[in-house]
Amino acid sequence: MTDITPKSAASLPAPRPRAIGLVNWMGLWTLYLKEVKRFVNVLTQTVLAPMVTMLLFLAVFTLALGRGNMKFDQFPYAEFLAPGLIMMAVIQNSFANTSSSILIAKVQGNIVDVLMPPLSTVELALGFALGGVTRGLLVGTTTGLAMWVFVPMHMHDFALVLYYGVAASLMLSLLGMIGGIWADKFDHIAAVTNFVIVPFSFLSGTFYSVERLPEGWNFIAHLNPFFYLIDGFRYGFLGRNDGDILTGMAVVAGVNALLIFVVWLMLSRGYKLKP
Amino acid sequence: MSEPAPPAPARMRRGNPRGVWTLFVRGMLRFVRFATEGIGGALISALLFLAVFTFAWAGEAEPAAGVSLPVFVAPGIAAFAMALNAFENAAFPVVYDKLEGIIGDLLMAPLTPAELLFGYVAGATIGGLVTGAAVLLVLSVFVEIALPAPLMTLAFGLLGALVFALAGFITGLWAEKWDRYSAVETFLVLPLGLLSGTFFAVEALPPLGQDIILANPVFYLIDGVRTGAIGQGYAEPWLGLSILAALAALLWLVAWRLVVRGYKIKP
Repeated sequence: MTDITPKSAASLPAPRPRAIGLVNWMGLWTLYLKEVKRFVNVLTQTVLAPMVTMLLFLAVFTLALGRGNMKFDQFPYAEFLAPGLIMMAVIQNSFANTSSSILIAKVQGNIVDVLMPPLSTVELALGFALGGVTRGLLVGTTTGLAMWVFVPMHMHDFALVLYYGVAASLMLSLLGMIGGIWADKFDHIAAVTNFVIVPFSFLSGTFYSVERLPEGWNFIAHLNPFFYLIDGFRYGFLGRNDGDILTGMAVVAGVNALLIFVVWLMLSRGYKLKP
Repeated sequence: MSEPAPPAPARMRRGNPRGVWTLFVRGMLRFVRFATEGIGGALISALLFLAVFTFAWAGEAEPAAGVSLPVFVAPGIAAFAMALNAFENAAFPVVYDKLEGIIGDLLMAPLTPAELLFGYVAGATIGGLVTGAAVLLVLSVFVEIALPAPLMTLAFGLLGALVFALAGFITGLWAEKWDRYSAVETFLVLPLGLLSGTFFAVEALPPLGQDIILANPVFYLIDGVRTGAIGQGYAEPWLGLSILAALAALLWLVAWRLVVRGYKIKP
């Protein structure tokens, strides 16, 4: 007679839980990968569509405004406009990535799948935020390369371009997380996008130098963090600026620190996420 | 005792006006239900475009003699908002009804394909017109829109909204998922709407571009609305009207044939 009981059950040691050190690297990497694969799956909508839209804006605004050889500090209008449009694409898409990811997960109920695993609050925030940063940088790079075909691009200071690119996508990813956690349905996030994010990215100097604004408005523009993002990013390309660059870097870093704190607070309390 | 006579079926020898009316009202109710996003969103983006053009322009070059750029773009913004809204109004319900399976209720109802098409498209067209009018009204607070020929603006608006509603209906039939619908919107409607002289004069284009834009029917919509709104146009109004009418008729025929054949809506 043959013994049909599996030998392994008796001879192999019981499986042990995976030891997690200070940081759950595997969990963080998995969450990040999930966030990236989510938008890569629909690349046409998430990267190609904003690129085409920004190219259209470039064409339309150059045709409408560039005829009189309009210049901003020796730069033809198209060259002035291009960095602004790249930044606008980064802003809108970083926000869209994290907000839609969290909101869809909430509405469908699969948010528990990221709340249950052994991920700390910081790891959770980082996984989502880095996904948004990746989308923002990818959209920015693609849009920039596409514009380069039509418009000569300058590169005054690559380090600054990189700093503002990362800082902007991080800021908007964090804002997107706050929006996604706060919103109960898609109408809410659509309203925030249409009535806050898009107006701010339009009116913060993408299309013009804020010095052209009427007196009072000029001052208000300098209170707006988006203005520093666009102005600093453009300075990195062209070497011309409206605001002070050091002030801008500090403002952007400060806003990011504040947003990280808010996101951490929301996640650790489980605001609208945990029962 | 004799059995009670069976109820006589409704007589619909001359069409089914009540059915068409019901479908139309449903479309309008949907439009009203989503008015915040529909009209509100259109108004916000129209005001943003106007603000951006006003601040960026600062009086350098006039798009046409004696016309400032903000005045020039305002009718274009309104026409674009109207076209986009009419497209969305028509496409969205069709995709939604297909995905939710509601379309079966409409195919079962005693409506001929033409009646079904009319019910869907009429509501979308009216919604687009209302949105365009609202945008034009709000923009007229900030720029001077003289409206020398309101009937011409209305005629172009009506035909243009109809064209985009029909295009939206066909897109809705074709799209199996939301991805496809938004792909058509991003890669076809948006470029057509923005590159058709919405914000710039034909003369701003290089010669080849001028030839291309004159072959683009959407250009005549924008140009006609602008002629009626600020008296500043490039093409002859009658030419634009006939091109748009021909296009609407063609799209109607295509959409009607698709419904008759049950393209992607009947098993």
